[in-house]
Amino acid sequence: MASSLLNIGRSGAIAARTALEVTSQNIANSANEDYARRNAVFGEVSATSNMAYYSNNSMSGVRIDEVRRTDAVFLQNQARRSGGDLARADAELSGLQLAENAIEQAGVYPAIVEFEAGLAALSADPLNGSLRAAALENARSLTDTLQIADSALDNGTGQTLAATQSGVETANFASAELARLNAAIVRTQDGTSAQATLLDQRDAQLADLSGQVGITIDYQERGVVAVRLGDGTGPFLVDGTNSASLAANQNPDGTASFTLDGAAVTPTSGALAGQSQALIALRDSKSELDGLAALIITTVNDAQASGTAPDGSAGQPLFSGTNAATIALSATSGDAFATAPAGSPAASRDASNLEALRTALANGGPAEEADRILYDIANAVSGRGIARDALAAIAETADIVLSRETAVDLDVEAANLVRFQQAFQASGRVIEVARNVFDTILGIR
Amino acid sequence: MLEALNSTAAFYARSQSQMVGLRADAERAQSQIASGERLQRGSDDPIASSRLRALERADRLADVDASNTIRAREELRGSDTRLDDITNALLRARELTIQASNGATSETGREAIANEIASLRDTIFASANATSLTGRALFGGEAEAPAYTQDGAGNVTYVGGTGSGSLEIGQGVSVERGVNGPQVLNFAHEGAATDAFAFLAQLEADLRPGGAADPAQSARDALAGFDEAVDTVTRSQTVIGVRLAWIDTVEQAEITRNEERSIEGGAIGGVDIAEAITQMQQVLTVLEASQASFTRLSTLSLFDQI
Repeated sequence: MASSLLNIGRSGAIAARTALEVTSQNIANSANEDYARRNAVFGEVSATSNMAYYSNNSMSGVRIDEVRRTDAVFLQNQARRSGGDLARADAELSGLQLAENAIEQAGVYPAIVEFEAGLAALSADPLNGSLRAAALENARSLTDTLQIADSALDNGTGQTLAATQSGVETANFASAELARLNAAIVRTQDGTSAQATLLDQRDAQLADLSGQVGITIDYQERGVVAVRLGDGTGPFLVDGTNSASLAANQNPDGTASFTLDGAAVTPTSGALAGQSQALIALRDSKSELDGLAALIITTVNDAQASGTAPDGSAGQPLFSGTNAATIALSATSGDAFATAPAGSPAASRDASNLEALRTALANGGPAEEADRILYDIANAVSGRGIARDALAAIAETADIVLSRETAVDLDVEAANLVRFQQAFQASGRVIEVARNVFDTILGIR
Repeated sequence: MLEALNSTAAFYARSQSQMVGLRADAERAQSQIASGERLQRGSDDPIASSRLRALERADRLADVDASNTIRAREELRGSDTRLDDITNALLRARELTIQASNGATSETGREAIANEIASLRDTIFASANATSLTGRALFGGEAEAPAYTQDGAGNVTYVGGTGSGSLEIGQGVSVERGVNGPQVLNFAHEGAATDAFAFLAQLEADLRPGGAADPAQSARDALAGFDEAVDTVTRSQTVIGVRLAWIDTVEQAEITRNEERSIEGGAIGGVDIAEAITQMQQVLTVLEASQASFTRLSTLSLFDQI
């Protein structure tokens, strides 16, 4: 009996010390984002003397049944889903902002207005050489700003494509890691801290993966996961110890498409989906800008064609090129402006052809078109910004709720420290009592 | 047990997101105050930005219109001065013609009068070819060349263009930038169309010795022509006066529009400093309070007690 008392005391002390270790581990990892709180789960030990007879005095103490890792699959899925949506919205918004910056900060609209102002000033004195030179320089800055905006859009496309490539690599790495972890997890024993560590790694990789592409996770026995792209019917990214390889391809128009082990796929959530949307927005902005450049070229050149230059010759095109990348000045001096109508003599002050050009520029012309383009982009950015803020709030809430469930609360751990320390001390007392009992028995003379 | 849990990480994440949000609000208010612009980029308010762009465009084009207005006024005033000169020359020639129409005036006296009329004709020629400050012929219509040329025989011909061109001085408002030579100097005398130069040349020739058979009678006949000539010039001056008044009206309207534009621009895109500062102060107060309470809460650790 007394030796059983000693054993019970010993098992209590060991269990309490293990629980203290788990508590210390929790405290040490309280700032670790991937760490899920562990609990020491105690199990009673009772011994039986033989197979057929269960004595009611067979208490043998306590043992650590398992080190349980706090799991909140639902909250985790929610956090991952909202995180993926936020990553998609973020990527799309930043692409749209690139487009907005490219066109707004290049100053396309002010350059058009400045060109119009130069023409308005010229109409006051159509033969004035300095006004002509000024108007020509305004035209030159207009072509320059269009080219700057165009190359800024190209840069944005390049940046986004690079982000897409690195996103694909992140996703592939995470998939490969998950396949490797699946293999490791089946080899670990349930309820051990080794398994808990692997599950932490698994969840971290799942979070990485869902940040890039929308995924559906199927939890299988012992913590092994099968991951599908998109919804529950999508192709497998990770199945057992196999992972599929995702690849991004650049289309000729600057957008991106994705393949999974060679089959075409479309991510619906995550940063890759957002980047794909951003690339489409950039492409659309680029074609809008090309349309604007073409409108400027045809409006001005058409007006030039129906006019007469100061030397009496027929008006020649002012701009060459067909889109924002190729637009350039073909005129070399301010004398190229055909301000007078066709058939006018040389050195005519009749500015009616210039007036016709100004009217064409003012009514439904490039200024209005540029304003429309800017408005459309700004509107898209503003709308997406609001949606993004809403998604950010949802994702943040989901993250906080998840970390409230699974992360470490230092106050609770402090209380546990005291609790398990007391349990340890109490078990020590049990051992002391057992020794006293022995001494009493041995001391009988 | 789980309900009561509130992980340390969650506490820090919540506090952080709250304070980051407040800080971003404060910074936005600060940059609005510093720039005086409510909108930092188009997407802050797409509709207002589009309206601001239209206002800026109107502003820029109104600047050009304003400088055109100055130019139009300068040209019209220049024309007006020259028309004064022409009127004075014609009146002086008329006085001389009255002298010449007196039968008592001697032949040499008439020759002197003819010489003076010739020089007055040169004065009118010079005035009619006057240019604006930018070198444009004031009475030359839309042609670049001078308004009148004189050949070796002294015959003066109008070589300017028809019309006189118009100048935009406001949104969709333009003004004729002057009158051309024929409008000023062509008139009808004794049923025949003539101009001041031909008329004066004829008079001069008549008054010279060996000119008209009865120079006094020719001079008397010419008097009616002078009345016509002066009348034509005066009519042109009236037209110019009306146009100057029109320019003033348009300019006044443009100033009002300009004010309206800046008021509207301020209302759409400007920052109400008082409101922005109050808002920022409010945000800062809340931020300070949350920082203080965060510091207090985060020092509350059970570890200090065990």
